[in-house]
Amino acid sequence: MTPGRRIDPMQDQELHALVDGEMSAAEKVALIDRLQRDHYRRTALCELRNLKEMVRTAYEEVPVPASRPAPDDEPEQGRGWLAAVAAVVIASVATLFAAGPELLPGSSERFVLLDPDGKGARPAQAGDEEMRIVFHVSGDDPEKSDEILREVEDMLATYGEKGRKLRIEIVAHGKGLAMLRQELSTQKEKIAELSRRFPNLTFVACMNTVKRLRVEEGVIVHLLPEVIPIYSGVAHVVKRQQEGWIYIQV
Amino acid sequence: MFKFGRKRRLCSAFETMRPDLYRIAWSWCHDDAQAEDLVQDTCVKALEKLDQLRNPERLRPWVLRIMANLHRDRYRGRRDIVTLSAHDEELAATDPGPAEAAERNATVVMVHRAIASLGDDQRKVLTLVDVGGFSYAEVAEALEIPIGTVMSRLSRARVRLRRELMAEKEEITGLRCVK
Repeated sequence: MTPGRRIDPMQDQELHALVDGEMSAAEKVALIDRLQRDHYRRTALCELRNLKEMVRTAYEEVPVPASRPAPDDEPEQGRGWLAAVAAVVIASVATLFAAGPELLPGSSERFVLLDPDGKGARPAQAGDEEMRIVFHVSGDDPEKSDEILREVEDMLATYGEKGRKLRIEIVAHGKGLAMLRQELSTQKEKIAELSRRFPNLTFVACMNTVKRLRVEEGVIVHLLPEVIPIYSGVAHVVKRQQEGWIYIQV
Repeated sequence: MFKFGRKRRLCSAFETMRPDLYRIAWSWCHDDAQAEDLVQDTCVKALEKLDQLRNPERLRPWVLRIMANLHRDRYRGRRDIVTLSAHDEELAATDPGPAEAAERNATVVMVHRAIASLGDDQRKVLTLVDVGGFSYAEVAEALEIPIGTVMSRLSRARVRLRRELMAEKEEITGLRCVK
């Protein structure tokens, strides 16, 4: 490489791979560590993250038309299979989401980083040496949730041992909310343990998703006691990026 | 037993995938009717070719490959269409209400235009990753290209997308980092 000339970091495929969740936990940690010392690439990472989010959001609300009947040459799969699928889905939802009365357990003791609108109570400041990472969980794959918790635990432990400052927020919305729901979470004990061990770790739930589940599917959500509810998960992660947090989509 | 239940299982899985498939198809066509036709034809084709699906766990990339091939064959040689779709016209004409909502609608339309202006190869990779949430490996399998090509197309698509968006509106809120 010619000294003094830098490749446009937007073309840096390592950054794209990070943004797209294509790296192993170890690779992510190593890259994030390097990015701490490279403002140029960090800014590019932030732009890539924003671009990805803009594209995703731009198509998120494209209205999906109702299913057409299945083709005529598939009589046994006609309208019946759609109805059958719908019935199975509805039954599963009803079974999985049968819920009790409580909506939001109290969690104010961990309410140190956020206010109810998701505006940081302590906004990040440029030049502050604390590393800040926001993990955005939007899928309900338990393996990925397990992986992210392992990764976060490793990072928090490593930074703690080295005496380096680190703040992590795990923001769940959409299907990702499953990770933080009493009814569905497969990591309740782990989340409780991590919350006890690391006060610099915060689990955040999107109330838009909670409301949508209630209005559209009649599901009353129970969040884990460690979780902090905020108005909009997406708005929150966008705000964190604008504040200079490193954004990782899970 | 597997054979008899296979078609029904595909229908069920397909129905689960349909919203994502439709959004991806829409991001390729930017047209409601074309997207709906594409998804419907993909469904029919997938049912016809079901015997060729050797590994049911590879259903997603397999269905995508069918859709990508249908799209390529149908629109081969045609120039990429860069128009406002009915949905976008609706968005643009919607009473904007709060300034934030108006800005959001304008940004959505602008992103649609920028994506539509990409070449088909770059657009497919970008939308499969960002709209569909597919992994690089799945995209490579679906489009029958090496992962390295997926990565290079993706980075070029994003660079161009950024340039298009910047050119259209420098002051998009949220596009720039504060820090």
